[in-house]
Amino acid sequence: MQPSPLANPLATVVQLETSGSQLDGVPQDLENSIRFAGAQLTQAAGMLLRLPQEVIAQALVVFMRFWIGGDGGSLAEFGAEQVSAASLYTTTKLSAWPKSPRSIINAYAYLATLPSLSPPPEQPKPDSYYVSEGTYQTRRTTLFQAEQRILQTLGFHLHVSLPYTLCITYLQALDIFSHPRAAELAKRAVAYLNTALLSPQLLYLTHQPSSLATAAIYLAAKETGIKMPDVEWWEVFDTDREELGFLVVGLLSVESFAEEERAKWEGRSIPMTVEELEAEMKRGDGGN
Amino acid sequence: MASRWADDEADKAEALRQKKEKEEKKRLKLQKQQAEQEAAAAAARERELESRPAKRRRLSNDTGSQDVVSQETPAERPLLRFDGGGWGPCRHVSNFETLNHIEEGSYGWVSRAREISTGSVVALKKVKMDYQQQDGFPITALREITILQRARHKNIVSLHEVLSGSDPSEVVLVMEFLEHDLKTLQEDMPEPFLASEVKTLLKQLTSALSFLHSNHILHRDLKTSNILLSNHGHLKIADFGMARYIPPPDARLTQLVVTLWYRAPELLLGTETYGTEIDMWSLGCIFGELLLKEPILQGKNEVDELSRIFALCGLPTDRSWPKFWRLPNAKGLKIPRDSGAKSGGVIRTKFPFLTNAGADLLMSLLSLNPEHRPSADEVLEHAYFREQPKPKPMEMFPTFPSKAGQEKRRKRSPNAPKRGEAPGMQNVDFSGIFANREEEQAGAGFQLRVA
Ligand SMILES: Nc1ncnc2c1ncn2[C@@H]1O[C@H](COP(=O)(O)OP(=O)(O)OP(=O)(O)O)[C@@H](O)[C@H]1O
Ligand SMILES: [Mg+2]
Repeated sequence: MQPSPLANPLATVVQLETSGSQLDGVPQDLENSIRFAGAQLTQAAGMLLRLPQEVIAQALVVFMRFWIGGDGGSLAEFGAEQVSAASLYTTTKLSAWPKSPRSIINAYAYLATLPSLSPPPEQPKPDSYYVSEGTYQTRRTTLFQAEQRILQTLGFHLHVSLPYTLCITYLQALDIFSHPRAAELAKRAVAYLNTALLSPQLLYLTHQPSSLATAAIYLAAKETGIKMPDVEWWEVFDTDREELGFLVVGLLSVESFAEEERAKWEGRSIPMTVEELEAEMKRGDGGN
Repeated sequence: MASRWADDEADKAEALRQKKEKEEKKRLKLQKQQAEQEAAAAAARERELESRPAKRRRLSNDTGSQDVVSQETPAERPLLRFDGGGWGPCRHVSNFETLNHIEEGSYGWVSRAREISTGSVVALKKVKMDYQQQDGFPITALREITILQRARHKNIVSLHEVLSGSDPSEVVLVMEFLEHDLKTLQEDMPEPFLASEVKTLLKQLTSALSFLHSNHILHRDLKTSNILLSNHGHLKIADFGMARYIPPPDARLTQLVVTLWYRAPELLLGTETYGTEIDMWSLGCIFGELLLKEPILQGKNEVDELSRIFALCGLPTDRSWPKFWRLPNAKGLKIPRDSGAKSGGVIRTKFPFLTNAGADLLMSLLSLNPEHRPSADEVLEHAYFREQPKPKPMEMFPTFPSKAGQEKRRKRSPNAPKRGEAPGMQNVDFSGIFANREEEQAGAGFQLRVA
């Protein structure tokens, strides 16, 4: 009954069957597109605010949890941008790197000037972006409203166990660090863990950190050509062959999904607010 | 079970207790299945932990590993399945009906309530929402909830869920209900707890602290009213409204924490970097209070509190507390530096019935210098817990009539530090007050010189 502190709460089968947005008539593929773009926006904003990846990752999981299940939040009511900002705001509040509403709002205002699904520029100049006082007041109100709704929708389950430290521990246990290209392997594994945060299959909501870390190591070892023990080593890390296989496919598919999305939205912007979604859905209806 | 109360009162309490026990049993039956599953999972996890180093060694040894692994069939290798629970939206407060208010404060309330669908009795606590338009959902409330969610320990009150009301700012915690808090209970007890009972209480309290501190959590408001006791002698820490995770070293923290009578001297002196030692000071205050059945340092204000501390524990010296003079509020303080033996504490004389080991423990917890206070783990190892009388087994604990289970309680002393209040100790002049206390201080065995 009492959850293990190392584990994450996972989405139930029922929660995965539907979503608040779908119940409000948002087509599932549109929802997937928006959620994916919102996740990328969260990652970009976190980097712009110079937050550690652990904090960004937590915000991303909170963002993903919000949309799941019939009781979950709906894009018809809350824009992905708003929820992304509020996820980041609440997560940093509890972390050792709290960010003021103003810096959050400025960061998102800056990112809104960039084309969707584009990686953040190397040398961003967010300081040059700030909103008028009136806009700031309005956005702060919506930020707080979204925060309140996230907390209620998640029943205050903000805690996220992350796989990053586990991943390093596992590599040590596997004696990988004696290998000359161990650093490359570790880097790739961490990159997979970051990619998994964006997964349209919601891998962080359906699998425990131990399995995510294991699958990331498995793939990274394959790609770097570093030989792993000749046994079913993943079982030591609480992952069976079936789950490993599922996660490997899931991790590999994120990149192709991202490419499809880029092609699909070429020259258009993804609706990140309620108004933009309404416009997009009207357009979609007209097309049918 | 023995009761120390008049017969009729005891009978009433006993009848109530039995009724409660029946209800409780019903609920327990339902929970049993779940509990069994959990125990199985926990056992599996332990087994896993034990076997893991061996497996790891096998892994790094490539040649030997093949045959070892092949001896195991998949069926013999049950994999660990973590249970992280799930999440769902806050339920509405109307799923519960209030039985009686336990405590009403200026911001919120605590009440005994029943879940309508299951009949189980719980405690509801409305979270204080000193809503700041600047910061959205109050960080203190957010910390109270998220820390309680994670602080799962047998001596920490367990949080079942969080409810929301019709007003979006209404947030209510659902906790297990315990019959007493130590403050109210002691006020109604004719005699203090027995030595063996104090030991059981202190031990449970210290285990909870050890757990919190090893998980990097500071409670920051330990006092008898925040410590709950069940009718079966089971103690649990409550009220995490001031708690927070220990921040990175040297981060500045507010010194406006801990209710005055339990506040460590370094906080009174305005330190902004502190740690688990402040909880250990409060533990010392609570230990003394359990022995005497009343708070041991009832200061009227910050300065008075500090004077009382010095009177009880002695004056700080350059040797006992080298960093003392560097604390922000120490400047205004005039204390003879070479006061010698006369400035010693009077703890030993104030607790004449305490054994030497007990006095040693109490004095170490009430060390002025935070660095000299023992950690929770060290306290648990102290000789005091091993000597006679042994801690009284919980099942031998007397039962008391529960106020929380029946009638409304009056509001308590307004000593708790208020959230959001500006740090208030910086400009206090200590020297003046000491002049007025000459008599008491002379009696306590030292003289203060007012410059
Ligand atoms: N789970 C519980 N079961 C029974 N009584 C409880 C429970 N939790 C709290 N109480 C009672 O309510 C009182 C107030 O609870 P708590 O200390 O959590 O609230 P608070 O408003 O934060 O207090 P404070 O005045 O210290 O800020 C406690 O002293 C105790 O008597
Ligand atoms: Mg309290």
